[in-house]
Amino acid sequence: MKTVIVRPERCVGCWQCRLACAVEHSQTKDLAAALGEGVRPRPRLRIYPGRQHLAFPNKCRHCEPAPCQAVCIAGAIHRTPRGTVDIDPGKCINCAMCAMACPFGVLTYASLYKAPDHRAVALKCDQCPEREAQGRVPACVEACKVGALTYGEWQETQEDKGRVLAQAVFASLQSPRETEPSLPDNLRVWRLLS
Amino acid sequence: MRYVIIGASAAGQAAAETLRQWDPQGSITVISDEAQPLYSRPLLTYLLSGEIRPEKVWLKGADYFQEWGFEARLGEEVVQVVPADREVRLASGRVCPYDRLLIASGARPKVPGIPGEDLEGVFTLRNLADWRRLESGLEGVRQVVVVGAGAVGLKTADALMRRGFEVTLLARGAQPLSRMLDATAAAMLMDAVATMGIDLRCHSWPVALKGDGGRVKKLILNSGEELPAQAVLFSVGVTANVDFLEGTGLGDPGGILVDRKLRSRDPRIFAAGDCCRPHHLLSPGQWPYHIWPAAVDQGRVAGANMGGGSRLYPGLLPQNSLSLRGFKIISGGLGPHDTKDCEIVAELDQSRGHYRRLAYREGRLVGLTLVGAVAHAGIYFQLMAQGLPAPEPVTPGLLWG
Repeated sequence: MKTVIVRPERCVGCWQCRLACAVEHSQTKDLAAALGEGVRPRPRLRIYPGRQHLAFPNKCRHCEPAPCQAVCIAGAIHRTPRGTVDIDPGKCINCAMCAMACPFGVLTYASLYKAPDHRAVALKCDQCPEREAQGRVPACVEACKVGALTYGEWQETQEDKGRVLAQAVFASLQSPRETEPSLPDNLRVWRLLS
Repeated sequence: MRYVIIGASAAGQAAAETLRQWDPQGSITVISDEAQPLYSRPLLTYLLSGEIRPEKVWLKGADYFQEWGFEARLGEEVVQVVPADREVRLASGRVCPYDRLLIASGARPKVPGIPGEDLEGVFTLRNLADWRRLESGLEGVRQVVVVGAGAVGLKTADALMRRGFEVTLLARGAQPLSRMLDATAAAMLMDAVATMGIDLRCHSWPVALKGDGGRVKKLILNSGEELPAQAVLFSVGVTANVDFLEGTGLGDPGGILVDRKLRSRDPRIFAAGDCCRPHHLLSPGQWPYHIWPAAVDQGRVAGANMGGGSRLYPGLLPQNSLSLRGFKIISGGLGPHDTKDCEIVAELDQSRGHYRRLAYREGRLVGLTLVGAVAHAGIYFQLMAQGLPAPEPVTPGLLWG
């Protein structure tokens, strides 16, 4: 399955993905027009201060099996044919059971223009189905300028990451041990806050 | 192998589906006293309020049982389980022999046992039939008293309020949800309940119901006060459906005692869901905890074990989510009464209506209450469920996103 791959070590916390995500999930899909919409569009991913990195992008992993799907008492969460976990705003009752189950804390609850009466429903990454239909990558990936969010087959990425890690371990065994560079104060404090 | 499952709700259905994966050939019989396939009981209060239409409660289609190859005995009541003969006897006279039996019969609402409970206009809300009875009984009603301020009581009171009834909600203790919430969180909840227009009475319980012509007219409180009411709804807890086990020594009204594999004392009989008393993750002892996700979890474990697997149920982690018109509370782990020896980190953001209470014991997170901002609840529950060393409590106020 193709998915958004997160590389937190590259993220600089610029929030452009959040902006792009909110625009993509607006009614007009246009930044200027989205600002004037009756129901404020919301981003579906968050950026936290990271423990090992500057910033940590957090979004739905589309788990298999999905804990949120198992606990949904309204039957609103389902798996789509393309493999993503999706929430049906017509069925969601805003009960927050999924927030209780999600081990990554990726859900938000807010009004949605697609929901009946614009009521509040559970929101999370849907991996931009309309963009995929047009052969485009998800909005957050397109917006990311530093390669922290990329789009690809997760199995391939896992293999790549494994290879990189193995090479790094091998290289570190061969080179003399370096001392860790001291960090500027503001970065150190930022990391402590996570 | 012949499998029989008593109950076709959350636990029974999860078990049947898991069992089908473990044993594609075995015959699986599902018995339910309700005549329809799986629907969502937690949605009944939403149905009552009118937030959802009746067709939205169905979680499975009409041909669900056929699709999975289950033999369905719907609308049939179990009268007796005979472990010696390995038989389940039904009210219709039919007998279902089994090699492995799962009891997922759930629980039914308790009533306090006060005079006048048999009057017309006295209700409970547990299944679709209850809802239908309640709907037809609400005609001409103006004042409703909801007895019991648990999660169901609160949701029901809110639903009735939305429908335009005058609602009084009775809490036995000093606050609603006393096993889940500390005083601060409860105060926030009580504020929200008051804003909804619900008349919440604490330290109150009914001692009698008075009627006129067989219909309830008023409810008499422990204080002696008389509340006029044309309908009374009890939500004062549930008792396990285990009457058919009488004489077998397997179950009592508290539930069926099970081991880590969710097996009862009879190795051929398993139990899951509201009718069983599982081990708990954070505390010793076994007691029932009635929540849909736990029933699904237990159903899966029991189903796998019935099919020849060897899965251990890790233990129940109490947790619940309450959402009243956008006001959200998620609470779980050890309640305020069990965390007296714990280190408590609590922070309150009054302006935004956010509250967070974390209880730590021996460097592990053991209790959680979130009010308002609940998005990260799942992360805390993972920390609890896996028993991970919890990081130092963070500087207050900085994690509210």
